[in-house]
Amino acid sequence: MNSDRVDRRQPRQLESNQRRHKPDYALLMLSLSLLVVGLVVIYSISPGLAVQKNVSANYFVSKQFIAILLGVFSFLFTANVSLKFWQNIQNQLIVLAGISVVAVRLLGEKTNGAYRWIQVGGFSFQAVEFLKFALIIWLATFLYRRVLYKELGDSKKTLQPILVVLVIIGFTVAFLQSDLGSTVVLAAITISMSFVSGVPLKKIGMISAIGAIGVLLLVSSTPYRRQRFATFFNPQKDCLNEGYQACQALIAVGSGGLFGKGFAHDVQAYGYLPEAANDSIFAIMGEKFGFLGLIAVLSVFILFFSRLKNIMLRAPDVFTRLLVAGVLGWLSAQTMINIGAMIGLLPIKGITLPFLSYGGTSVVFVTAAVGLVFNISRYTLYDNGSATERGSHDNYSQRRGNGRTHHAYLSRRK
Amino acid sequence: MNPSEKEINPKLRIQTWFAFLVFIMSIFVVRLFYVQIIKHDYYQKAALSDQLKQYELPAERGTIVAHSSGVLVPLVLNESLFTVYADPKFIVDVAQTSTKVSDILGGKPEDLRKLMEKDTRYSILAKKVSKEQKQKLEGLKLKGIGFRETVQRTYPQGQLASQLLGFVNDEGIGKYGIEQALNETLTGKPGKLKAITDAQGVPLASNQDNILVSPKNGSQLALTIDLGMQQQLEDILKQGLEAASSKSGGAVIIDPYSGAIKAMANYPTYNPSDFSKVTDLSVFSNAIVSSPMEIGSTMKPLTLAAALDQGVVNKDTTYFDPSVWVIGDSKVVNVEEDGGAATRSMKDILQLSLNTGATWLVMQMGGGEINEKARIAWHNYLVDHYQYGKETGIEQGYEAAGSVPSPTDGYGLNIKYANTGFGQGITATPLQLGLAISSVINGGVYYRPYLIEKYTEPNGLNKDTKPVVVRNNVVKKEVSDTIREYMIETYTKNFRAYNSQSSNVPRPEFNIGGKTGTAQEANPDGGYYTNIFNGTYVGFVGGDRPQYVISIRVNDPKIPGYAGAKAAAPIFLKLTNMLIDSYGVTPKMH
Repeated sequence: MNSDRVDRRQPRQLESNQRRHKPDYALLMLSLSLLVVGLVVIYSISPGLAVQKNVSANYFVSKQFIAILLGVFSFLFTANVSLKFWQNIQNQLIVLAGISVVAVRLLGEKTNGAYRWIQVGGFSFQAVEFLKFALIIWLATFLYRRVLYKELGDSKKTLQPILVVLVIIGFTVAFLQSDLGSTVVLAAITISMSFVSGVPLKKIGMISAIGAIGVLLLVSSTPYRRQRFATFFNPQKDCLNEGYQACQALIAVGSGGLFGKGFAHDVQAYGYLPEAANDSIFAIMGEKFGFLGLIAVLSVFILFFSRLKNIMLRAPDVFTRLLVAGVLGWLSAQTMINIGAMIGLLPIKGITLPFLSYGGTSVVFVTAAVGLVFNISRYTLYDNGSATERGSHDNYSQRRGNGRTHHAYLSRRK
Repeated sequence: MNPSEKEINPKLRIQTWFAFLVFIMSIFVVRLFYVQIIKHDYYQKAALSDQLKQYELPAERGTIVAHSSGVLVPLVLNESLFTVYADPKFIVDVAQTSTKVSDILGGKPEDLRKLMEKDTRYSILAKKVSKEQKQKLEGLKLKGIGFRETVQRTYPQGQLASQLLGFVNDEGIGKYGIEQALNETLTGKPGKLKAITDAQGVPLASNQDNILVSPKNGSQLALTIDLGMQQQLEDILKQGLEAASSKSGGAVIIDPYSGAIKAMANYPTYNPSDFSKVTDLSVFSNAIVSSPMEIGSTMKPLTLAAALDQGVVNKDTTYFDPSVWVIGDSKVVNVEEDGGAATRSMKDILQLSLNTGATWLVMQMGGGEINEKARIAWHNYLVDHYQYGKETGIEQGYEAAGSVPSPTDGYGLNIKYANTGFGQGITATPLQLGLAISSVINGGVYYRPYLIEKYTEPNGLNKDTKPVVVRNNVVKKEVSDTIREYMIETYTKNFRAYNSQSSNVPRPEFNIGGKTGTAQEANPDGGYYTNIFNGTYVGFVGGDRPQYVISIRVNDPKIPGYAGAKAAAPIFLKLTNMLIDSYGVTPKMH
């Protein structure tokens, strides 16, 4: 690769060229509120889960609390480290992620037919979460350079490497790790970033088509996936076996009604709905908080996504825009796939709901991604196209100074 | 460079993408509205059908106590035992777990290991594990090992009185004896719990849909039985049967002035703790109440009592006994050495056990011959006075009624009725025999027999059983006195015959009376076995008034002589001595 040479030819140095201003605190607040709601829900169902897993009553909530604390650190790190740093370590990062994914396959534990994590000192590490994060950094750098050299339309330089990466990911994550859900998310990240970078639609269509064929092949290759797909089309008929989770999720959501059963009166988490704290937490929330509660949750998500969209629109450069695109592609895909499965619109994939689901690795890398976007939000620009659509942050009143109080006119008079 | 690439507007793509997200979200909202609002009732029903479970809360089965030296001691108790099971999903170290479990429960670790590796969530490792063992296991805090409580009947007195108690089968239903007869009283009423539960069925915290009806435990039963007397009866019976080379038999001791059963036993018997190991099911039944036999000569005091009571003969009547009666095509003869044709008194009929005398008595009821009048009069006494052919109502499972031939329907009624005078062709249980004699010697009151002296409800409320009079004036008081006197003389005169090997003499300070019987064994398929004879003895012991009535049955004794005299009477003798020595029989004053 000739990346070193390219790096030196970068036209702009982000931090030196862009004005630093107040970051998007709303983004932070929305993320935080989702994390807290998730923690509270896990707190309420923790004793019920603990009985089934034979652990102490607060096992789940305390682990999630520690994960959120770790998440604060990962957020602080990505929110403050130079954005250029990621360009420098992008290769090392994706290689490390790749190694950890393979390590999971070799050393990991098998759950529900998929190899997903390795134990690290009492905590399980889900390598694929790391891979998602690393893929965003790597793809942002890669696509940024293709944009820079105007090679997006070049099949050899753009399309083929992306397809190679997708095939490698598909092979390791989907085939070796048997984690189809994560593969779909990784593909969604790739397609989102390609789409925003400006890869011609025809080629995106090709990427998607190849991805879809791969998914279909993988589905038909393993019995447990075949069953999941088969039962998706008629979950009620097979409530006892393969359609059990889908069916119980619908029962949880449906029995919640308009207002929900109330915070402490849900039942499905007590052994009926599998993965109540992880993959199925949305359904548990539906049972607790009802239609109104879920509308509120969906609203927070769409508000959060709209913050990402705004930051993407006003990103200071292509690299940062692609980073945000990757994060939005990741979190939105995972949210849609998870919720879609819980309400019977998509087959069950075994994917967590960002922010809300129980799971340390997911929390740590999601907060890292939010930190990344939060960092970028300090450098957003006015929308140069239209005067009416003023950026909310890149104005003088909100711009961050040197930390001292400014008394400009007063000082001049002296 | 492709010029078209320049026209690509990333902002448009971003807006398009976001619009797509909003579109998906709005589909979710519509779907949620459908699932949570429109189909809410459907899913709520589905949820409840899974979550709402109905349980029966078992009531505690009543315990059984009985007298022992003046206090009530437990005879039947409940004990919590435990089923130990494994949930292989949660077992961390199968090798270690199986070794530890086998250390406490016994058995091979390999066998437990196999059970722990089964592909199931519920693998039973051991049943009927004691509380101590369970607590030891619990102390190890092994993951994936669980316990389920089962309640079991235990018998502090071992197999004592097992046949009158009965047992409780694995479904919790009383079988045989008191357990069967009073199953409902003992069982109580199970409670009901309707509750929202977790997937394992453990009820969750209070919920508006929860319903709880507390169980009503069964009553405690206090028996009329005296355990010391029962034990001695069982011992004496066993020895007596062995001495007579008999394989089986039974005896009952009755309070003739209340109908209370003081002791009741059969041999062979069984251990109720191990009822499931019993192979010969006949040992379950309390033959004293459930196995009728031909009454035989013990009928004669009743025949005489009926004749006296009707006034067709009196105490001092004598008659000429031809030693044989021809009735229709048949003959009535005496089986015992009666000394041939002679003039006989009423007392002789009992003392010499004259069949021809008993038949003569029935003839007197018909004005000198056996006819319809005689049959109806005699039948009236058998059924309405002595309560033969009817269940007594004692608190026992499988009670039998016995049978009395109809006086008006059938062939050969006259010879049939000539035979019933000395107890042939009519069946009854040893209990019925004892009760009929009781009513004749106690002044003429037939009491309903009972085993339960007191019912104690779970709330502490006691219900004492009061003696129930089935019939007054079974016979007139004077008749009762006469029969008592004649039975005492019968016993005294025949004592040596009963007790040739014993130096025991009749105890002159007490009144002891009785009558032997030797009868053919009734064939369940109808008729009688001609080669099987049962020895019976019915008698009483007391002072001025009879205190205990004893009815004994010895099946098919294999010793020479008449079964009643040689096999059953010696047991009676020992029982009267036992009662006099240990159970406060009041000596006579007059």
